[in-house]
Amino acid sequence: MTANKEKRRVISRDAARRRRQVESEVFVDLSRLLPFQQSVQDHLDKPSVIRLTLSYIRMHTLLKGKTGIKVEASHAVKCGQVMESGQEWRGCDRGRDDEEKKTDNVEASEETNMFLRILEGFLMVLSTEGDMIYLSDNVSKYMGLTQTELMGHNIFEYTHPCDHEEIRNNLRLTAEEVWCGAKRDFIMRIKGALTHRGRSSNLKSATWKVLHCQGRAKVCVAPSSVSCLLLTCQPLPLSHTLLSTHTFTSQHSMDMRFTYCDQRMTLLLGYSTEELLGRSIYDLCHILDTNCLTKNHLNLCFKSQSVSGQYRMLVRGGGYVWVESHSAVIPSVRPSKSRPGAHQPLCILCVTYVLSGVEEPSLQLSLDQAVHRYLR
Amino acid sequence: MSAGGSDGTADRPADLAAEGECPEQAGSSLPAVEVPRKRKGDVEERSGTHGQHSVDFQKDDDRSRSEGEDQQVKMKCFREPHRQIEKRRRDKMNTLIDELAAMIPACQPMARKLDKLTVLRKAVQHLKALKAGTGSAFTDTTFKPSILSHDDLKHLLLRAVDGFLLVVSCDRAKILFISESVSKILNLSRLELTGQSLFDFIHPKDINKVKEQLSSSEYPRQCLIDAATGVQVQVDAPARPPLLSTGARRSFFCRLKHSRVAGKQDKHFLPCTSKKKDTSRYCTLHCTGYMRSCPSSQLDSEGDSEMESSDLSCLVTVCRLLTPMSHQPPKELTIRPSEFVTRWAIDGKFTFVEQQATTVIGYLPQEVLGTSCYEYFHQDDLLHLADKHRQVLRSKEKIETRCYKFKTKYGSYVSLQSQWFSFTNPWTKEVEFIVSSNQVISGPGHTKDEEAGNSKALQEDTKQIPIIPSLSSGLGTMIYAGSIGTQIANELMDSYSRMNSSPSSRACSPFGPTQEKCPQVSPQTSTSASSREEASGSSSQSQCDSRTAAGTSSATSESLAAVSRININPIQGEPSQLDLDLVPGLSSFSSDEAAMAVIMSLLETDVNMGQSEDFEDLHWPF
Repeated sequence: MTANKEKRRVISRDAARRRRQVESEVFVDLSRLLPFQQSVQDHLDKPSVIRLTLSYIRMHTLLKGKTGIKVEASHAVKCGQVMESGQEWRGCDRGRDDEEKKTDNVEASEETNMFLRILEGFLMVLSTEGDMIYLSDNVSKYMGLTQTELMGHNIFEYTHPCDHEEIRNNLRLTAEEVWCGAKRDFIMRIKGALTHRGRSSNLKSATWKVLHCQGRAKVCVAPSSVSCLLLTCQPLPLSHTLLSTHTFTSQHSMDMRFTYCDQRMTLLLGYSTEELLGRSIYDLCHILDTNCLTKNHLNLCFKSQSVSGQYRMLVRGGGYVWVESHSAVIPSVRPSKSRPGAHQPLCILCVTYVLSGVEEPSLQLSLDQAVHRYLR
Repeated sequence: MSAGGSDGTADRPADLAAEGECPEQAGSSLPAVEVPRKRKGDVEERSGTHGQHSVDFQKDDDRSRSEGEDQQVKMKCFREPHRQIEKRRRDKMNTLIDELAAMIPACQPMARKLDKLTVLRKAVQHLKALKAGTGSAFTDTTFKPSILSHDDLKHLLLRAVDGFLLVVSCDRAKILFISESVSKILNLSRLELTGQSLFDFIHPKDINKVKEQLSSSEYPRQCLIDAATGVQVQVDAPARPPLLSTGARRSFFCRLKHSRVAGKQDKHFLPCTSKKKDTSRYCTLHCTGYMRSCPSSQLDSEGDSEMESSDLSCLVTVCRLLTPMSHQPPKELTIRPSEFVTRWAIDGKFTFVEQQATTVIGYLPQEVLGTSCYEYFHQDDLLHLADKHRQVLRSKEKIETRCYKFKTKYGSYVSLQSQWFSFTNPWTKEVEFIVSSNQVISGPGHTKDEEAGNSKALQEDTKQIPIIPSLSSGLGTMIYAGSIGTQIANELMDSYSRMNSSPSSRACSPFGPTQEKCPQVSPQTSTSASSREEASGSSSQSQCDSRTAAGTSSATSESLAAVSRININPIQGEPSQLDLDLVPGLSSFSSDEAAMAVIMSLLETDVNMGQSEDFEDLHWPF
């Protein structure tokens, strides 16, 4: 009896093995169809193959129907016609041979490459559930993980848990946004597997990287197509930038009170450094921009870097200017090798760009603008 | 592309991370930092069978099966987690297969669920069909294969970025290249712009700014910021640094002309100014990029023959239209004369008054700034408003007042109703000021006779106001009114200092022991709190610090939900519910490692910026 049982067990095991073999072969076939180099295809495990296949199909669905029109429109411009965006120009594409198309492709790729390099960011397409359907291949430069490692995974696996709610809110699309362009602009922390020298390491030694994400929601009404978020994700640099005279820097304690500001602040806004020390930035700005500043402040507190968006700073003597601040939390004392474990007090460094001239110069709205101040 | 070997193996750990590999943490909601563990034998298997792809898969399954069979051999404590891991892998695979089936049209109308193999086979067919359909990405074998064709990528990029690529020469700001997307932003065609001087399109007031940014070696002093200290570094010599292109990066905002096309995209442009003489409209763009030398031989068709071989210094930038933030009021505000917003210090003194206020109260902002709001309140309302004042300083909610009278410049009273909201500094959690959003209820009414009658009523009222023990009528009224506000403010300051000095303040922190939500953030310890107090000099600083120390390191997601729900009604100008109560203390930054992490991430970022070698292989698109 047991011999029979044993025999049946062996038969079923062999059958299972054969089934698995067939399955593996299909996986190989599938991986060969994926648009990656063979060396990459060979090293994909099964879940990755499916993941990437899904991304591939989803991206095609996303672009289905759009691609034809866009390509034709861009050809139209090249043909010397200025077209309203969205109009179709049917005639131009015919009679263009493969050579021309190839040149166009080359140009498009060079331009896109340059665009992405100069933008200093990567493109991310997010589904409404948060799946990273597509990432441009330069993502490895910023996250240390490659396109094939990341694509198809869910963004919530890679971002700071405390940012998840904000990401979710950004993924949500309200009905009115569908018709109004639905722009997105937020900051999130994502895992970065880069060493401080810029080389890739692995997820084990991942640190949090702050990314500024901007873009819009793209809604597709075609059946079986996906709505998604198109975002560029950029780290926020601080140094190595030439600052113009319409820019000033300031330092603040963590509660956003001034601890330092440079002379250009005085030139642009009229406040002397002494006047500002210890004053809160909230006092210096238009009341309607309080929320903008608060959001900026919260971003700094949680994520250590922020871009403020446009707000109004009041000018001494009257009026205001539109500005935008790029800020970061930095140690207020330079970390030294001799005391690496020493406590680092932190402060906020802001680089503020003045966007406009002084508007409504005769308008005095706040106490600080008054020429003769009798309170302080 | 990274080396092939890393892809597969890294995928595995990532998958494991998704499943949650730590048995002890099986119960927790979200593993904090997912430290993936490579499965034993992974690396060896892969590197050993480089070419045999199908055998790889085969070996995977065999190994997992044999491991399953060996379960009895393993110690009991490994059995459960291992089964769990296996189960999770299978579930994950099944989920993936289901998702795949959902995306493939051929799998759609099936009544019953298809088996794995069939779905995979249909997927193969589908991909083959897709590849046959598009021609562009795959016909050209010289091209690196990619998921998206370049056109598609370009299209997506432009949808995400309202912007264009711009290359200008540094000497005369001649537009050497501009991408087609400029037509979407400025409504000017690429052809119209190429070869023109950029200065023709820039707002006159921004010309100097852009000139500065275009200058490179002529500009003797470059102002850079040292990220580690925030100190500005003056670099005197023309910078040719060895490794990083320090100083080659440019970032600025400028206004560019755009031509109006009826009904097109106007709502995306912000802020636009229309100058009185010049009827052009401008939109503000953020331009970031790098100074590069580009070979001039391809460019200047009209250039001098001596210059042919020399390299042109130019600026390559991406110009991006500014995002109007959702909480940003649009520039063209509909001004409703019957509403205005004011800001007071916590003692009730006006520190900000919107210009619309003048139409209601008669005073110009500078006439009321610095004075106490109580000086304008009618005596009948003092009690009620003082009460509300006290309330708002202690509440996170908007407080609505009843209808009250406000004295205008002309002596008459206007009926107002207001919503008050106290603004709390997110870091110190102390109230900094009060925002008052005011609406007119009815026109000015009361006559002077009524006022006289009311002052008598005030005398009786004062007995009910415990804060001012004695009252002198008439002369003292003004001083009395102002001091109400001061008194209330002082009560608040006292309560703050009481909170700070109390040693039990940490215990009754509102944040409680909710650390487990974000366990990777290092928890606040009392030792570092006290060292912080020592490190900082002033006592008020240490008070603030100890208060933030009281908050634990938990960062609840609700606070961020509040952040994203922030919107400001541009018409009424009132901030909506800003629930900052749940903002935790930033104890993550009080630990040394976290501070170092901040620095490191900044340095990382900077390392990636301006690496000159990146641009060497770039082909210029013109």
